[in-house]
Formats: sequence, structure tokens, C-alpha cells
Amino acid sequence: MPGEVFARTLKDQKRNLAWWAVGTVFFAVLVVLVYPSYSAVPELERLLEEAPPALKAFFGESASITSPVGFLNTELFFFMVPLVFIILAVGRGSDAVAGEEERGTLELLLSLPLSRRRLVLEKAAAMVITMGVLSLAMWLGIAAGSLLVEIDLTGVYKAAATISGALLGLTFGALALAIGAWRGGRGISIGISGVVGVATYLLNVFGTTVNVLEPFRPLSPFYYYIGAEPLAKGLNLGHAGVLTGLSVILIALAVTSFDRRDVAK
Amino acid sequence: MEVSVLGEAVIRTHKLTKWYGKHRGVIELDLEVRQGEVLGYLGPNGAGKTTTIRLLLDFLRPTAGRAEVFGLDPRRDSIEIRRRTGYLPGELALYGNLTGQEFLRYAARLRGGVDWDFTHGWAERLKADLSRPIRTLSHGNKQKIGLIQAFMHRPSLLILDEPSSGLDPLIQHEFYRMVAEAKAEGRTVLLSSHNLPEVERVCDRVGIIRDGRLLTVEGVASLKERSLRRLEIHFASAPNSGVLAGVSGVQDVEVADGGILRCTVRGSLDPLVKALARFEVINLVSHEPTLEEVFMAYYGGDLKHAG
Repeated sequence: MPGEVFARTLKDQKRNLAWWAVGTVFFAVLVVLVYPSYSAVPELERLLEEAPPALKAFFGESASITSPVGFLNTELFFFMVPLVFIILAVGRGSDAVAGEEERGTLELLLSLPLSRRRLVLEKAAAMVITMGVLSLAMWLGIAAGSLLVEIDLTGVYKAAATISGALLGLTFGALALAIGAWRGGRGISIGISGVVGVATYLLNVFGTTVNVLEPFRPLSPFYYYIGAEPLAKGLNLGHAGVLTGLSVILIALAVTSFDRRDVAK
Repeated sequence: MEVSVLGEAVIRTHKLTKWYGKHRGVIELDLEVRQGEVLGYLGPNGAGKTTTIRLLLDFLRPTAGRAEVFGLDPRRDSIEIRRRTGYLPGELALYGNLTGQEFLRYAARLRGGVDWDFTHGWAERLKADLSRPIRTLSHGNKQKIGLIQAFMHRPSLLILDEPSSGLDPLIQHEFYRMVAEAKAEGRTVLLSSHNLPEVERVCDRVGIIRDGRLLTVEGVASLKERSLRRLEIHFASAPNSGVLAGVSGVQDVEVADGGILRCTVRGSLDPLVKALARFEVINLVSHEPTLEEVFMAYYGGDLKHAG
């Protein structure tokens, strides 16, 4: 029956995912609760205005760091959200093929009448759901925190930002999946995805200040995640489309490369 | 089960070759497994048994040559082949977090059309505990779940890689009965093993593989016939050591005290019996050749890798 591997994967991971979701909600609430004391310190803003541009880039481009948008970008969306989404997604992506292969369970699974393509696609679908759940948890946390401290922010924009996070995570999860499907080896898959993650993160950050790097900024998935400021302006469909398209391409590469190679034991 | 003519090849390989980079898998393998037979696939670890099986099931792609299963291509028609095949891997790894029941249900749903009554029947016969998480089970108890999984959908072809490893003798016998029943129902079995008595017991023919090459495929009976037989001849009066010189097939003659002569005979016993007719023979003790000895003949006495 189609969907069996998808359902099994989610069932196996549901407890783990529940912990991620709970942790994410709490973390987001806590961060938002800090806001009132943060905005009460106007010196912070002056301090940041005098900071070198590279440092400013790290904290984000928003006009006012003490505004709700500036605060959430700085404290959540510039670093923590990508980190959490990417770690979870890369873990899932590298486990999908390479992890099962290393544990030896792939062999029995593929002796059943189940095509390699279907296996990869159902695992990828489970990853999409996982990112969706995490995105929802992040949104819930921010929304709940905002209610408590009366941050004035449109719910839709918050959703736009967490959905962008999910798409960014999915992109790296698909990369990890593709590497595992292409070569095998969970460690290699995580390692390469991690290096690409750090490199493209830095490219996006320095691309805002270093002139030489600026034209290359659109090569970074992070640019499409945050460059259009989803928290302030809503979801940029073009940018979301780039991340979605990238994920689709990587998953397609995972399918074709896995179909061509030997399955190790 | 599809209708097919008895004796038709279910598995056929033609110069099937697999190299893992510079490492040898199998070389120019021509193997045929016929409908309704139990073929034992015998060889030491690392000889290429598992490689052959993995090529048939499309885990591996051949470097050269080709294979057919049910007349289908292992790559193009992989799903159809796997639908009609039950497989037990040599290194069985199951989902440790699931119970046997949950795992079998999962496999059954992925297969579709599994009769759950049979599954329970087999679980009872093999005394498999399906209620405990698989990670808490011993190797032998995991193996039982692997076996049930392979037999579950009553496939027309069973490919079993070292099936009885870890099973205790009683369960092993139950497993042999399952293989015999499968054969009686017209199913085909390819069973890899380095356990010679097992192959002797359940197989019709034996393929012997060494260093990636198929040495021979023969009927169990004819293999034994062609093999070495150890004989002990008790004479009424002590013979001299040259007594059997020149008798065809006789070798390793050795005279012991009390008129006892020991020797090895290759092939037919007739020349020896004719030669002995001249003497008063009190007793003739023949040791039935085990496949171990057959194996020894093919392996040139080098069994140190045979586990």
C-alpha cells in the first residue's frame, strides 16, 4: 500500500518530534518574554548603530533592533531558527537512506515489493511533515509569547517567517538525503550538509557588507530564507519558490542517484 | 501462484560477474535453479554466495553478464520479482523498536495480500515470540521472525541466505520441514549455506562456489557417488601391503594390525570388490561420504575458510 513507509517513518519518529516541538515552543516563548526588558534599553540601539557594518549584518538588517520585528529577527530568526530547523532536517535526511543502510534494515525493506524511488519519496514526504510540525511549534511559541507581552505583530507574518524556516530546513534536509542516497554513509551526509550550511550562512551574512561577495549572495539558501524579510513583509513567493524548487531538485537527485547505485550492507 | 512447467529455470545467470572496485565478488557465474527444486548453494564465507543473491534481488548491479529470475530482468522488473520472492538476508537486521508482530504487519502491508492465519501458524511452529520488541530478542529468535517474513506471502521462490544460523536443533528441523513443504507445493528454493549436513538433508542439487567461481552443480546423490569413500577391509589373514596395487580408484592404502586394511576409493567400488574376491574377507566397513568429504575433494583439502 502506498504511504506505508511514510506512515512508519513518522510513527517511529513521533516521540522524538514531539520533544523537538515542545522544546521549540518553550524556547520561542522564553525569547519573546525577554522583549519588554530589551526594548526598555534605548542605548542598545545607539550601540548597534555605532557598530561596524559586519557586526550589524550578523544582527540583521532591520531598521530598529528594538522594534518587535528587529528583536525577533535578531534573537530568533537570524540564527536560532535556521539552526534548529537545519539540525532536525539534516538528521532526518541523512537517516532516511544512509541511516537505514548503515543499520542494515534497508536490505529487508528493499526485498519487499517497494521501489527505491518510492522509498526515497515517502521518506522525503515524512521530512516535509516534520518541518511543518516544527514550523507550527515555532509559530505557536512566538504567538503565545506575543500574547503574554503584547507584541504587536501580524500572525500571518510570523507564520511567513516560520514557514520560511521550514523551507530552509527542508532544503538542507533534502541535501542530506541526496548525499546519503548518492554515496551512502550517514556521517558523510551530515558532514557535507553541515559544511554547506555554515558556508552559505556566512556567504549570506557577509554578502550584505562585503562588496566582493554581494553578487554571490543569491547563491545562498539563507538569502531566500530571510533576505526578503518575511517577518516584516510576509512571505515572498518567489523566494519561497526558490527554496521549494531547490528541495524538489535535490529530492529528484536523491531518487535518480539511489536508483543507480549498489545497496551496501 | 503462477502456473509454470516443472523443471523450467526460475533463476538463470549468464556469465554473471561482479567486482567491487578491485575486490572480487563473483566471476562469470552460470547458475540455473529449476522450478520446484531446492538448490543448495555451498561455499565458504566470502566465496560469493551472498553477492550472487544480492545480484538477483537488484541490491547490486552486475559488472558484466546478466541474470534472469522468472525470466524477468532483475533491474527492470525488480518489483515483480520481489513480489514473487521471499528473502531472508544473511545478516538479518530488523527494526529493534518494533515487536515481531508490528514488523510482520508492516512487511505484510508493504506486500499486500498476506494471509495472517498462515503467519500465525508459522510463528507457532517456529515458537517465535511476536509480542516482544525485536531488540530484546536473541539472534535465533530474530532469525525466526526473518523466516516467517520470507514465507509469509507463500512466494513461488524462496531465497534464503544461511537460514538456519542461530536456530536450535528442534527449530532447525521444523524449518527443514517448512522447506520440504514448500518444495512439495512446487515452490523453488535457493538456500545458501556452509552447513553441509543441512544441504545434504534438504537439497536436491548443490552448487559449490569458491573464490567467486561456480565449481560444479550436481545432484546430491551423484555428488556423493563421485566422491571419495573410506573403506576398512578385515582379512582372515594379514594381507601384504601390495595386495591392492593397480586396482582402479583405490588409493591411500594402509595396513594395520589384525589383518585390517584401510583405503580410499574414488568412484565405483566394483574394481575393488573384484580384486578382493580372491581373498577371505571377514568384514567390509564403508564410511558413507559426507558432503564434507565431497567438499574436500573440490576444495583440494583446504577447508580452513569454510567456517
